[in-house]
Amino acid sequence: MIAQDIMQTNFHTLRPGNTIAEAVKLFQVASESEEKKIFGLMVADEEDHLVGMLSMYDILIFIQPKHTHIWGEIEDIDPTGLFDESLERVKSILVSDIMTTEVITIQPDTHLMVIADIMIKKHIRRLPVTEGKEVVGIVYVSDVFYQLLNKFLV
Amino acid sequence: MPVVERRSVLSGISVEEAMRKQVVQLPKSASIDNCINRMIKYKVNAVLISDEEQHPVGVVSKTDIMGAFYAGFPTETALENIMVGPPLFCYPDDELETSLDTMRQSGIHRLYVLGAESNAVAGVLAYPDIVGLLYRYCRACDRGLLKTRRKKDEDKFERYKVKDVMTASVSYRRDNENLAQVIEGLSAHHFGAVLIKNSHGDPVGVVSKTDLIVAYKHGVSVDEGVEPVMKAPVQSCEAEAYLATALQQMLLKDVQRLFVHSSEPRQIVGVLSLSDAARFRSGSCRACVSSRLVVGS
Repeated sequence: MIAQDIMQTNFHTLRPGNTIAEAVKLFQVASESEEKKIFGLMVADEEDHLVGMLSMYDILIFIQPKHTHIWGEIEDIDPTGLFDESLERVKSILVSDIMTTEVITIQPDTHLMVIADIMIKKHIRRLPVTEGKEVVGIVYVSDVFYQLLNKFLV
Repeated sequence: MPVVERRSVLSGISVEEAMRKQVVQLPKSASIDNCINRMIKYKVNAVLISDEEQHPVGVVSKTDIMGAFYAGFPTETALENIMVGPPLFCYPDDELETSLDTMRQSGIHRLYVLGAESNAVAGVLAYPDIVGLLYRYCRACDRGLLKTRRKKDEDKFERYKVKDVMTASVSYRRDNENLAQVIEGLSAHHFGAVLIKNSHGDPVGVVSKTDLIVAYKHGVSVDEGVEPVMKAPVQSCEAEAYLATALQQMLLKDVQRLFVHSSEPRQIVGVLSLSDAARFRSGSCRACVSSRLVVGS
């Protein structure tokens, strides 16, 4: 069993020049059309070359005010609305500004056990499959999980 | 002869209690582009640079990146070309006050914290983080602003106002100038942001080092105008406002500085940064400083 047997070929990608608001919208669109919750998307340039990954976690890290640890102690202030202002301030920030650029990729012929090993050791839940520089698919941890389980159950 | 030692609210606290454990680090071969990405994502003003053996060898700050922008370096340039080294260190069990003195004497805004046993970097101590600590102590204090507000009649403590702590000189640039001129202004005044005024002398926006490095990453040239890069409106507070209120505003809005206006909002008279408050090293009221005066012998 190799990557191309289990990879998803119906996937969405972000462009490095998308704004964070556009990225959030694309997370929704991707989740609906792929019929699963999407927590991370690949970022590809105009030639479909992989340039990074952006996860919901990356966006959360970025949106979070720096001194959040004090918030718990400020009980007389309602933080609602403060987020609106911070969203206004981040308008100029693009996907390429906060995406992860060190991305581990696999090839279509990477073996299932190798994929599982990478996911476990590097704590990665999704691995882009590339041919040369071009993105051809993505393998999710759930694909690996069910594939392996089916094998062991038989 | 007894010696009066002036103590502040932060006396007796160790570096470990004040440091931030998350240290953003990059290898010296990484690009400026990559470094800006980390600064924006993790909201840090500087990144620690390490060599091939993971030893810390330097620091790249937003100021250094701004310099590279001004000098016309491509964003693919490796960080080792612009880093400043070696980094300065302190230890987790050092006195916070001593470390803050070291920072002031060396003219730097952060110290990296080396683990006591191994030589691994355990954290970073930065000026803006101290303010969170000050704020926390003031909240807990029974003479604090918020507690006395509830019983106004007993209010006998004189509290610090923004005007006591702010930097009273404000430099500004015009909205028809280009980014190179703004960078020149920022470098000359060692400040994190510059006020932008229009031809009528009204404040119309602010350009921070962060705005500049984002523009650099997006391929904007230093010859371009300031307007698309600046942030508007100007985040400001009144000079007569309580320091504690201003600190709260900065922490909640996640800004590193507020411009200070007189009773007329268009008239900017000073600027208050999180670092000013940290250098000042007191919470919100004078009671705090006097109650901590210690007479030694």
